[in-house]
Amino acid sequence: MKKQFLLSAALVALALPAQAEDKVKLVISNSQWLDALRGEQLWAVVKAYEKVAPNVVLEQEAIPSKDYADRIMTEFGAGQGPDLAIMQEGVFYALADAGMLVDLADVTEGVALNDTIDNAIVDDVTLGVPWQRAVYAMIYNKELVDQAGASVPTDVEGLIASAKQVQEKTGAIGFTARHQINDFSGWSMDFQNWAYGYGVHWVDDEGELTINTPEAAAAIAAFKEVYDSGIIPIGDDMPTQRTRFKEKQVGFSMDNSGGTLNIASGGAMQSANVMASPLPFPNPAAHQQMFISISANSDHPEEAAAFLKWLISPEGQALMRDASGPDALATDVPVTEEFATVNPWAQTFADLAKSSRSTLIPGHEVETNQIMRPVMQAVEDVLIRGTAPADALAVAQGKIDSMF
Amino acid sequence: MTDISTGAARSLPQRARKSRFSAKAVLPYIFILPPVMYLAVFMFWPLARQIYLSFTKTRLINPSRSQFIGLDNYDRLLASPDFYSALHITVVYSVMAVVLGVALGTIAALALNRPFPGRTIVRAVLLFGWAVPNVAASLVWLWIFNERSGVLNRIVTGLGLDSVPWLTTTHMALPSVLLVTVWQVAPFVMLVMLAALQSVPEEVREAARIDNADKLNIFRAVTLPHVMPTLQLVSLLVAVWSIRRFDIIYLLTGGGPIGSTSTLIVKLRQTAFENHDLGLASAYGVIGLILALSVATIHALFNRHRAKRSMQ
Repeated sequence: MKKQFLLSAALVALALPAQAEDKVKLVISNSQWLDALRGEQLWAVVKAYEKVAPNVVLEQEAIPSKDYADRIMTEFGAGQGPDLAIMQEGVFYALADAGMLVDLADVTEGVALNDTIDNAIVDDVTLGVPWQRAVYAMIYNKELVDQAGASVPTDVEGLIASAKQVQEKTGAIGFTARHQINDFSGWSMDFQNWAYGYGVHWVDDEGELTINTPEAAAAIAAFKEVYDSGIIPIGDDMPTQRTRFKEKQVGFSMDNSGGTLNIASGGAMQSANVMASPLPFPNPAAHQQMFISISANSDHPEEAAAFLKWLISPEGQALMRDASGPDALATDVPVTEEFATVNPWAQTFADLAKSSRSTLIPGHEVETNQIMRPVMQAVEDVLIRGTAPADALAVAQGKIDSMF
Repeated sequence: MTDISTGAARSLPQRARKSRFSAKAVLPYIFILPPVMYLAVFMFWPLARQIYLSFTKTRLINPSRSQFIGLDNYDRLLASPDFYSALHITVVYSVMAVVLGVALGTIAALALNRPFPGRTIVRAVLLFGWAVPNVAASLVWLWIFNERSGVLNRIVTGLGLDSVPWLTTTHMALPSVLLVTVWQVAPFVMLVMLAALQSVPEEVREAARIDNADKLNIFRAVTLPHVMPTLQLVSLLVAVWSIRRFDIIYLLTGGGPIGSTSTLIVKLRQTAFENHDLGLASAYGVIGLILALSVATIHALFNRHRAKRSMQ
């Protein structure tokens, strides 16, 4: 009896690793896995695939957003890294340029994807599938704005006036926006809203980099006007600004749909009290596009492709919609009526997604970060030293001309 | 026959002695093998690789496809005003960190070298800055410096003054970063200097006192010469650490505003990870290495000079 028991125990012990080995492990990297609520919800969506494909085990590689680009590019460069990477457009283009991503033509064939796929097609090859597109808008705390008797601004002067009114009447912070170079990656993307809002393209019709333009000078001047007006909590980083908004300490803010969903979920702030409106600029603003791609280093590209195929299927997209708030997805899945009722700010973001532009500079997608560094230094120069925007931009143009 | 046996008897102990000698000779090498391997794998090989990369055009995400370009990266570096600015900031930052950190740490050590009630507690409290990890310390200081709700500005405005933009103006950012650096470095200096001060023979001091030397003269003629080698060594360490310090600067200012805290190492990171240019970033690293080696050479020359003087 004892012998039989030992024999069966040994057989079970031998069988267990064999079973585990049969399963294919796919590692998926994303900075969002670390987001308090959204991370769990998105991971639950991904994990649902294990029921569809029982031979697959999904594992997450969570990297803080500040370090994501550095880490993922170093891993890919070293011939390692995850099987699937969820990343901002900038990182996507850098990896695409280096030939590190797998062609996904078979995955997207016959699927009715919307135009969020456009930037994932590089030189006629589909190298990514849209994960989420977070659009920027002006969000505000309705309660504070009503209490102050302020109006929702439609231009920069109106923003300063309304934010000051909120500050004076309620003691809250008037307006929050990124404004520091130690958050270069985030600030340079956010600043594109000001630039695009004033009609900047950064390139001319021939694709030449044109940094020093009257439109760019106007955008920087507008930012300085807001910066100098005393409505921004100078020195607060973005997580602090979002926490303050969540704690009902901020009147107006400039944020994307993902950030707003975070603010409106699981905190002191009722989602019904968050409202959104277009940014107070003459032209449409920017969006942050995220793609999911298969690494050329992956040992399981077929299984990874099958996962992506499921992700953009009606089933996968319906699950993604529940976890993504109003972010635009790979296919046109409208937000549920229930979600729209509980989150009155969501529809504005959905509307703005139709006209928003990528934060990457067309034709210079891989070099956008490199180009934006001197531009943001020009913005700093104007904000801190009071240099005339055109003069600061002339210096930036000189630096960029010498680089390319 | 007899000769042969005698010869064999003689050669046996000789052979044994020889094999013992060989084992003795090999043993030290076996002991030093692990650290040598460690240094070779984790220091010398990456260093050699970095120097090689500085002569190549290498992209971060395709390091295997590098192309040898000779001195082109150094040409680009020397033609860039950003490089001279970063070099200047690195030198200013390092010199100030050494001067302030070593001075403050030494003063604290002198104060703690004499007995007073609660000395152990004061020593433990003063060591706190050194014990806290750099990243945690920087994040705490980020809050302390916060323009709107930071502790420092609460104090400043409480005194009826205007709040200070600690990290957001070019003239305040570097001093603020230096303040955090000195806060971190001074306790280490204090600890080392305290150990050196405690090794000064009491009888020599006593003799000086009998010869009617005052406190300043005792310090100058007895204490300072005795602790000078330690002072030099600790200055060397602080200088080299300052040249390669990244975390505090990057977390507090990211090299800004307008590049006013952008040291060589911050530029290296920016070049490697934002511009994906590993070749140029390696050239920045090599310049940093040369700077650190120059400081070490100056220290070695000082040492040699001192040794010569003591021989005379």
